Amino acid sequence: MAQDLAELIRDRERLVEELRAALRGSERRFDAIVGSLTDPVTIRDRDHRFLYANRAALAHLGFESWEQLRATAPATIMSDYLVRDERGEEVAMDDIPSVRLLRGEAAEPLLIQTIQHDTGVQRWNLLKAAPLLDEHGEIDATIMIIEDVTEQRRAELRNAFLADASAALASSLDYEQTLRNVAELAVPGIADWCAVDLVDDDGDRRTVAVAHVDPERLVLAEALRRHVPDRVDPDEGLGRVLDTGEAVVYPRVTDAMLAAAAVDAEHLELLRAVGFRSLLIVPMRLGERILGAMTLVSAESVRTLDRFDQELAEQVAARAAAAIEHARVYSERSRIARMLQQDLLPEQLPAIPGYDLGSIYLPAVETSMVGGDFYDIWEVKGRWLIVIGDVTGKGIEAAALTALVRHTLRAAAEFQRSPAELLSFVDATLKKRPSLSVCTALCFALEGDTATIAVGGHPLPLYITGDGVREVGEHGPLLGAFPAARWQDSTLKLTAGSTLLAYTDGITDARDGDQERFGLERLCKTLTQLAERPAAEMIDELARRLEDFQIGMHTDDTAAIAVHRSADGATLGGRETHAVLRTGTITTPV
Amino acid sequence: MVRPARLEVRAQPDRARPTLAVDGELDLSSVPLLAQHIDSQIESEPDALTLDLSGITFMDSSGLRLLIELNERAGRDGWRLSLIAPQHDSATLVLRMTGADRALPFEGPPLS
Repeated sequence: MAQDLAELIRDRERLVEELRAALRGSERRFDAIVGSLTDPVTIRDRDHRFLYANRAALAHLGFESWEQLRATAPATIMSDYLVRDERGEEVAMDDIPSVRLLRGEAAEPLLIQTIQHDTGVQRWNLLKAAPLLDEHGEIDATIMIIEDVTEQRRAELRNAFLADASAALASSLDYEQTLRNVAELAVPGIADWCAVDLVDDDGDRRTVAVAHVDPERLVLAEALRRHVPDRVDPDEGLGRVLDTGEAVVYPRVTDAMLAAAAVDAEHLELLRAVGFRSLLIVPMRLGERILGAMTLVSAESVRTLDRFDQELAEQVAARAAAAIEHARVYSERSRIARMLQQDLLPEQLPAIPGYDLGSIYLPAVETSMVGGDFYDIWEVKGRWLIVIGDVTGKGIEAAALTALVRHTLRAAAEFQRSPAELLSFVDATLKKRPSLSVCTALCFALEGDTATIAVGGHPLPLYITGDGVREVGEHGPLLGAFPAARWQDSTLKLTAGSTLLAYTDGITDARDGDQERFGLERLCKTLTQLAERPAAEMIDELARRLEDFQIGMHTDDTAAIAVHRSADGATLGGRETHAVLRTGTITTPV
Repeated sequence: MVRPARLEVRAQPDRARPTLAVDGELDLSSVPLLAQHIDSQIESEPDALTLDLSGITFMDSSGLRLLIELNERAGRDGWRLSLIAPQHDSATLVLRMTGADRALPFEGPPLS
């Protein structure tokens, strides 16, 4: 802007000099200089009457001759237009730079948009004014150059809108919310209101977003939308767009068109109340498939939606279609992965004589990453086997691998006695797979008061008594990863009231708002406080503290299973799996 | 929106062998960044790669998986991978816990 101003001042000085010279000479010579300029130039006297307008100015203002212009009051000319500044605020005659100069104010260039009432044509103009001084230094007249910046301005607005719309489309996988955001962005930059309809496989349409520049009139727009039938007429308007996949434009909506489109009297009344000026409907298309349509309406702004608006709307609609498809595929994948994962957990914890049990499974908030952790518990020949693990990798592949590991363990348990042998068997199975398949696993067998523990690349289980918390068992290698791997069995006597807890690193790796990890130390401290409580109670309380720590966000799967040896050795009944399943907002990882 | 872990990967042109120094937290959210750096490094110098993990403060199973995959890839494609062990306890713990400290090509003495 500063540079513009400096240029303007230089221009002005030169122009004033030339004008002075010209005015001393002849009118004809002056007109030869200014008249040939392609930018409109006007000179007005102290009362703001036109003294001069070049040919470009006459054309710009819509006059055929100088005489015709001179006979028209400036205020009358302005009243033919809706004039706003770049923020959309109405511009009055007093705000025009030349008028401000006459009031003795500084007049910076002013960017205005004009919409002619009759035609609805929108232009963007940059008004620059300079004073013409008499020999006493008083303002004699003002000269104003009107620069038509419509093309630049629209390109700027288009780029800004496309950038915002692309960002909005990429911001969330909740595509209905995304479409609402895009509709909001379209007003008032492109239209006064914007509606987005989706069409399903059966051809039924559904409005998912309506945005209006004026919140009070939004009610009207929404009411109107409810009148549109689910099955729209394929020959007209929205129906035609959804049917053919081609945009339709109604530059000037007439009352006859409204009457023809109305389904009943109330509908017609609503249509008239909206004050349609111009209507544009573009398809949201993906190849041959039509997912829906965007409807843009110009009403209050009286602007005619044109070819330019259509191109812009088509670009946004194409991007919206891609975003919808992406979100649909993604949510379907998440659903499958989640379903598989649910299947991979025992529905109910069994009753084990002398023990009570508790477990928790928190799937990652980012649903695309579902499918890491698993646990299982089952009885084989009078022994109970408990396993917990983490399949590295996420999504459907991880869920499939989890299923393989779980079924392998169950099958192998029929003929392998020790947990270390079980891990070894799973390791061999994983190594036969064509692609790298690795997982961590902790397996322990419970027989009377004795636990036999083997660990493969997994955090060691925690043994919790009234005396404190300690890790038990021995680290062994990750399953499926390394050649010549071996695992060790360790045994542990569970005293009355003690608890053995197995967990996945989702607990210790959990981060708080300051990126601090929950960590093993905090876990042990928490469990010390919860020692000797029933397993389900301990797990619930641990989950609650973890939740508080993470402030509602966890990035990885989290699982834990605890067995608590009853103080009196009595059996508590079977308890339903305590599974806190959270379905947080689906977001894309950043 | 989940904040990604902080991870920095820097090429070390002054070292004798092609080296990437990795600092920060290597987890699910930062693994793609390291993978990307490794790919372009191997593309430009396909014979050997040293990953200096001494600045790693945290590693989870996805970070470990990346190292295992890289080791397999080096064996398959016939280039030399060497690893400089992390210093930080929580990162070495994962390596020891999983047996990766012995199975992966770490330079120098075994991790304490």
